[in-house]
Amino acid sequence: MRKKQEEMQSGGLISMIDVIFQIIIFFVCTANMQDNSRDAQVKLAVALHGKAETEKNPLQIEIEINSRGLLTVGRSPLTDSELYAVIKKAVNESRPQQVPVVIRADGRATHTMVRRAMDTCTSAGIMQLKIAALKEKGQ
Amino acid sequence: MARKKRTQEWHAGELNLTAMIDVAFQLLNFFVITTHPVDVFANLDVFRPQPEKVITKQEETPPLMYEVMVYKDGFAMQKRPMGLPELDRKLEKIAGIDKGSMIVVKCTGDSTHAGLVRVLDLCAKNELTKISIFSF
Repeated sequence: MRKKQEEMQSGGLISMIDVIFQIIIFFVCTANMQDNSRDAQVKLAVALHGKAETEKNPLQIEIEINSRGLLTVGRSPLTDSELYAVIKKAVNESRPQQVPVVIRADGRATHTMVRRAMDTCTSAGIMQLKIAALKEKGQ
Repeated sequence: MARKKRTQEWHAGELNLTAMIDVAFQLLNFFVITTHPVDVFANLDVFRPQPEKVITKQEETPPLMYEVMVYKDGFAMQKRPMGLPELDRKLEKIAGIDKGSMIVVKCTGDSTHAGLVRVLDLCAKNELTKISIFSF
C-alpha cells in the first residue's frame, strides 16, 4: 500500500517537471528577443573591415534611413526639424563630442536621403558621425 | 519475551530512465530553439565639414588630402575613374606613405549609400581614419 503511494508521488513529480519545462519553452519561444529599437527592414551595406560594435553607448542616437528615405529614431518617423530638435536637446544636455550619432542607412538609399540626416546633425553641432554597416551576418 | 526491533531500511530511489530522457530532450529542444546567431555590426567613423566653412576654388588642396568620388555607377580618385580593386590599391599606397592622410569622400546625390560604405570599408581596411564626407 505504502509502496503504491510512493510510486504515485514520484509519478506526479515527473509530470510536474515535464509541465514546468513545457511552460518554460512556451515563454522562451513566444518572447521576442530581437532588438525592437531597430527596423528589420533596413538592410545595411556590408563592411567587412570596419571596427565591430562592441557595446552601445546609452547616449547614442541611432538615425535609421530606409530605402525609401524615411527617417526614424527609435522606430518613430521624424521630420528634419524634429530630428534637429532631438539632437540639439542631446547636445545641450552634454557636449557635442559626447553625443555619438550613428547613421544606419539602407544600402539602397541614395546619398540625397542620407545627406538630409548628415546635414541636420552638422547644423546641430555634430561633426563626427558613425556610419553603421554589417560586418558579419548571423546565419 | 524479546521484542523484535523494528528497523527502517532506506533504499536509494530508482531512476526513471524514461522521464530522464524526456527531460533531456526537452532541454535539447529548448537550446536548439533559443540559440540564434547574432549579426555583427561595424561603425565607420567619418567627419562632416563645418557649415560656415565655404570651400573656394582658389583654396589650395593640402598635399596629403586625397579626393575619392562616389558616383551612381562607379568611383574616381583625384578625378580619375576607377574600379574598387584599383581604388583599394591606391588607398593601400596612400596608407603606406602616411596613415594620417586625409581622405575626402565626395558623393553625388544619386549615388547609393552602399557605394559610400564600400569606400569607407576600404579606408578601414587600409587603416585610414581621417575621412571627411562631402555631398554635391
